[in-house]
Amino acid sequence: MGYYILTYLCLAVFITAVGRLMYRHLTIPVHLRWEIYPVQGEPADKVSYGGSYMEEMNWWEKKRKSSRVNEIFYMAPEILLMRGLWKENKRLWQMSFPLHLGLYLMLATFLLLSISSVSTLCGFAEDGGIMIVNGLSVATGWIGLIAGVIGSTGMLYKRLADRELRDYSTFADYFNIVFILIFFLCAFVAASTVDPLFNASRDYVLGLFSAGRAVPAYVPGRSLPGALTIILASLLTAYIPLTHLSHMFMKFFLYHRVKWDDTPNRPGSPIETAVKKNLEYRPTWKARHVDTDGKLSWREIASSAPKEMK
Amino acid sequence: MKKPLKPSDISKKSDCLCRIEEGELAPLPPPYEDFNQNIPTPLKAEKTGNIETSLDNTVAIGIPRPASKEEEEALIKQFLSGLQKLFEKENNWTFLQPLLLSLEHCARCQTCSEACPVFEMSGRQEIYRPIFRSEVLRRIYKKYIKPGGKLTAKFTGDIDLNWEAIARLAELSYRCTLCRRCASVCPIGVDNGLIAREIRKLFSQEMGIAPKELHDMGTIQHLKTGSSTGMTAAAAKDSVEFIQEEMKEITGYEVEIPWDVEGADILLIHNAGEILSWPENVGAFAIIFQAAGLSWTLSSETAGYDVVNYGIWYDDVQLSRVAVRHADIARRLKVKKIVIGECGHAHKALTVIADRLLTGDLNIPRESAMVTLENIVMSGKLKFDPQKNDFPVTLHDPCNVVRSMGIVEPQRRILKKLAPRFREMTPHGVDNYCCGGGSGFAIMSRYNFAEWRNLVSSRKKFLQILKAFENESPETPKYVCAPCSNCKGTIRDIIHYYRAEERSRLYYGGLVELTVNALAGMKKPIINFGDKPSWE
Ligand code: SF4
Ligand code: SF4
Repeated sequence: MGYYILTYLCLAVFITAVGRLMYRHLTIPVHLRWEIYPVQGEPADKVSYGGSYMEEMNWWEKKRKSSRVNEIFYMAPEILLMRGLWKENKRLWQMSFPLHLGLYLMLATFLLLSISSVSTLCGFAEDGGIMIVNGLSVATGWIGLIAGVIGSTGMLYKRLADRELRDYSTFADYFNIVFILIFFLCAFVAASTVDPLFNASRDYVLGLFSAGRAVPAYVPGRSLPGALTIILASLLTAYIPLTHLSHMFMKFFLYHRVKWDDTPNRPGSPIETAVKKNLEYRPTWKARHVDTDGKLSWREIASSAPKEMK
Repeated sequence: MKKPLKPSDISKKSDCLCRIEEGELAPLPPPYEDFNQNIPTPLKAEKTGNIETSLDNTVAIGIPRPASKEEEEALIKQFLSGLQKLFEKENNWTFLQPLLLSLEHCARCQTCSEACPVFEMSGRQEIYRPIFRSEVLRRIYKKYIKPGGKLTAKFTGDIDLNWEAIARLAELSYRCTLCRRCASVCPIGVDNGLIAREIRKLFSQEMGIAPKELHDMGTIQHLKTGSSTGMTAAAAKDSVEFIQEEMKEITGYEVEIPWDVEGADILLIHNAGEILSWPENVGAFAIIFQAAGLSWTLSSETAGYDVVNYGIWYDDVQLSRVAVRHADIARRLKVKKIVIGECGHAHKALTVIADRLLTGDLNIPRESAMVTLENIVMSGKLKFDPQKNDFPVTLHDPCNVVRSMGIVEPQRRILKKLAPRFREMTPHGVDNYCCGGGSGFAIMSRYNFAEWRNLVSSRKKFLQILKAFENESPETPKYVCAPCSNCKGTIRDIIHYYRAEERSRLYYGGLVELTVNALAGMKKPIINFGDKPSWE
């Protein structure tokens, strides 16, 4: 049961940390615009060269054309295939891509195992659909493990061997990569020696969904690599959102909320309401030209003269 | 060989953390090899006195060293208090989210380094690497601002905080042109340009430390006398009267430049530097607006005749003040829209950034002059003779207009129609390189800063210009079209510094000059190459 408790705790840390990050960025004040073109939400003809609606005469009188589809078409290969890194830094991509692919496929494997376990708990027959899901989980599991071992070993080597990476790497950067590498190695050894078809893993996931009561729930610790894999996978799940590794999903905010946020402030729009709220904040900056002791709002300061002029 | 510096070296005791050696800068092609050994002239102690110069023997701000240990400690305290404020919504709602995201998610993969022209052209000096300064700030933030930071510093990257670190960080934030090329290639979306600007803000808004050209002679003078050039409204009107006369000579007909016309459709605001240094730009706008029959006006209110907003480079408070002043003038004049003249940073400041500062009746529509010009040229109302522009032309893209605003094609459509020998630089559009004068560098020239700019930050642009014209004979006059005052000023300085007018017959100017130069029915050209007219 101790393994299950550890996994539950780690999942709780993961959910809380991700929730906290999301909440923070969803409730943070609307910032000034700072987009970079090409903005992928523009219509395709504009995206092709990085144009914006501001190229149009009297654009504010027209209905804005924006395209979520373009964003999705751009974002999917960006997240899954790391297209940006491929384009700008192919040598690093060769290692970084398998590492990320390994992590994504581990997540996919967990989801597939979860589908299979839930269907068992619901009493569905092991028909063709579930067989496909099980088969898929074996494929994603193995490809993910191989990619992860190659990627994390390669990234560790790169960080150590490349002077430009090494000089900027902190102890935490090495810790992160070694942590991921050890996880992949343990999981690889466990899969190769005791669980090649991920049946035991499926049982463990089934146990997770049934608090260890479902039969035949996997009894962790049957093998040392299996036990280590469960411990490391749980800890890694909790650890990722606490570090900069969270960039894997926080990229959404970096792209959608900053790089591509070109929403204009139209009269009466939610942006205008948010800006009006922001302008009521009272800053406490101390330089002579601002110094207001927190008494004046941004709105008042913006229409006042700096002290140097008084 | 030099030992590469690491971010933690920022606090190291040393007279000069990074010294550019002769021959280290990226090589220039013939006939400019004689500049390959040039480096910024080392500063003499008797000239710098008590000023901190220990970053790279170049000075942008000129911060006096503290006189005592107590003063040093007080400055460190002030710095940390400012740093804390960068993470508070009351103080920094303006950029809190982009800052947090950029500080917390860098993977230190170095992809951005290859995109940075300053780093590349400097011969890869470590301190100019885009993440060097970001990493310094990141470590200080983690260690001194985040709870428990001192305990985890060994894990997350240690750094010591002393006077040297602070003063060098301030200077280092002025070795980045905020061109944001690094941000556009970062696979995660981290923006080192933004971090550099946040550092500048901290120093300006909390400690009152900023280059004189940006603050005292910049935003303060702008709000006080009406222009960062120091030009008063009366002087601006005088100059414009003179421009009218000159334009009459060129066009052969009366050009009326309207002032303070209430209810006009357009309030045109120039960078006042045009009135002072490039009057033909102001004249060309007047000619073409008048010829197209537009309803427009200039404003003689304080700051109404100078569209610059230096706040965009260093200070959100000053940025807001200038933007509100511009919008308020337009509101009182009851114009339908503001058209921003050929000034890149003003485009971004007033159109994009101020968009989330201006509410209610201050939110007057703003448009780029390039869009207005394109509409005039393509409308078919006016006749043009492109053969008048029969000389090689290339286009410099101001970062603030292309990468930060997505205005890429209007200027090209004009050039393709009116400049038969137009060719692009490589790369161009949203992938362009900064002129090297971005973020205020164009107007900063104290100590040896202008020399640093010409040699380091503008070097890539110079190489790009030479490349664009490589198949032309050195005797052929060539026109670099730079639709931005600051870029134009920087390119003027490049041409002067490298004697490129004599060696390559390089000339520069704006987009509207090129447009009017091709206008049918003109008596004389508006573009001249030295003392030779561009057409007879
Ligand atoms: S800013 Fe982006 S490109 Fe540069 S090191 Fe960080 S993650 Fe890599
Ligand atoms: S903003 Fe431009 S100059 Fe500054 S670090 Fe990035 S690429 Fe270099």
